[in-house]
Amino acid sequence: MTTLVGAEFLKLRTTRGWIGYVLALVVLTGIGTAAQVGSAAEVDLGTPEFQRDLVAGSLASLIAFLVGITSVTVEWRHGTITRTLLVTPRRELHVAAKGIAAFLAGVALAVLAVAVVLAVAIPFIVARDASFVLDSGLGARVGRIVLAAALWGALGAGVGSLLKSQTFALVAGILWILLFEALLTLLLGLVDLDSAADFLPAQALGAFEGSVDDALSPVAGGVVGLAYVVGVSLLGWFRVEHSDVT
Amino acid sequence: MIEVERLTKRYGSTVAVNDLSFSVAPGTLTGFLGPNGAGKSTTLRAILGLVRPNAGRTAVLGRPYRELDAPLERVGAVLETFDAHPGRSGRNHLRFLAAAARLPASRVDEVLALVELTGAARRRAKGYSLGMRQRLGLAAALLGDPEVLVLDEPANGLDPQGIRWLRDLLRALAREGRTVLISSHVLAEIAQTVDEVVIIHRGRLVRCATMAEVEAMAAGAARVRSPDAERLASLLAEAGLDVRSLGDGTLAVAAGPERVGELAAAHGIVLHELSAERATLEEVFLELTGSEAPA
Repeated sequence: MTTLVGAEFLKLRTTRGWIGYVLALVVLTGIGTAAQVGSAAEVDLGTPEFQRDLVAGSLASLIAFLVGITSVTVEWRHGTITRTLLVTPRRELHVAAKGIAAFLAGVALAVLAVAVVLAVAIPFIVARDASFVLDSGLGARVGRIVLAAALWGALGAGVGSLLKSQTFALVAGILWILLFEALLTLLLGLVDLDSAADFLPAQALGAFEGSVDDALSPVAGGVVGLAYVVGVSLLGWFRVEHSDVT
Repeated sequence: MIEVERLTKRYGSTVAVNDLSFSVAPGTLTGFLGPNGAGKSTTLRAILGLVRPNAGRTAVLGRPYRELDAPLERVGAVLETFDAHPGRSGRNHLRFLAAAARLPASRVDEVLALVELTGAARRRAKGYSLGMRQRLGLAAALLGDPEVLVLDEPANGLDPQGIRWLRDLLRALAREGRTVLISSHVLAEIAQTVDEVVIIHRGRLVRCATMAEVEAMAAGAARVRSPDAERLASLLAEAGLDVRSLGDGTLAVAAGPERVGELAAAHGIVLHELSAERATLEEVFLELTGSEAPA
């Protein structure tokens, strides 16, 4: 499995698709962080709560999700899935390798995003005569953010295997996170099932990383998020297992 | 070595392969022939575990492809569709295959040299010509130095020089004792290369034969011209031979010229012309598959 995951990273590195995602993450996170620090009240700047929320505000999870989707669907789009399955004919191994590689890519993206946040925020906050608190609370939050982005990456790979079409998977994934889940939460609220919305994927993983208030506990959010990753990956494996590569 | 047993594959209401059975013996170079749409690609993809049969089974080296350990080192394949990412260089395409198959990276440069693609190896694949794409596919197939090769129309896109190069390469591989199954819709294209042929049409087996048998089918016809063609035709027909009038006193006979000449002499029939006729391999192929010759 280590060999297959290594080969997946080689695939990711040897095309230019990943550059756009990394650039988007760095630029948007940098701008977002600068805007947050710039618009914050002096009194909030030095508080651990504000600084932890800064770290949680990156787009690492979204980008990791999209990278996960793309890493799988690009194979079906360009027909490279044929060669991939000739080398790895056991499709459960192929789906698992994709999921693990996307999980690790999520880790890398989240670490990069946190680095960008710190690189922008610390000088900005210090320049405004406040101090940045690097404590264990921040460390724990960063750890959860990194793990959440990793789960989003693996979830993306599962969605990619399930849907196979790159355009459909990317559009459906983005719409789910930005629109459908919010709409569903609203609808559940209308029928007095607000708490059920806590179990939706973005809500659960948001609770895990601490970016969603009044939701599941971080541990429960992490367990629900992991269940989504496993469930969607199994469905993705079923789809790939029963697909003809023509 | 390669076994296909009662294979059936349907796509919706279309039956691509219908109860097809054949086997390829170890160490042989076998042509897999049929007109376009005969079911060749589907069969090869079923052999390679890419397509799930509706019925029947396939095996390579005694096991379904999906159950092979280190499949790249056992079976190499070139399929009709280009399977490299257009934004990735040919060399990087082979590098990730080698990495996934736990093959040494040095093997990548070896196969690139073997298919004469070293000069273009660092170029992105989207800039490759059709011939270069075929060579990259062959390089991928040969990466694991496999004992079995499955090639789907590998000559497509190659210029005459490239076809000769491919023929020489396949002969060299066969001499090394490898088993090669190579598909084509043109018999003449692979006739000089293969030992045996498996011919299919509309998803069904038409014939398994050695190339020598196919050659024999092409031989054995005669063309005869006589002022007494009508009587000669009757005598030949009475002798159980297939006779066709070509007009102007000329007949085409499904028998060697010796037999026709002896029969004419025995009945005192004057002949103005008697020659051996040889059907082209393509005519034999078309006759076997019941296809129309291209206009």
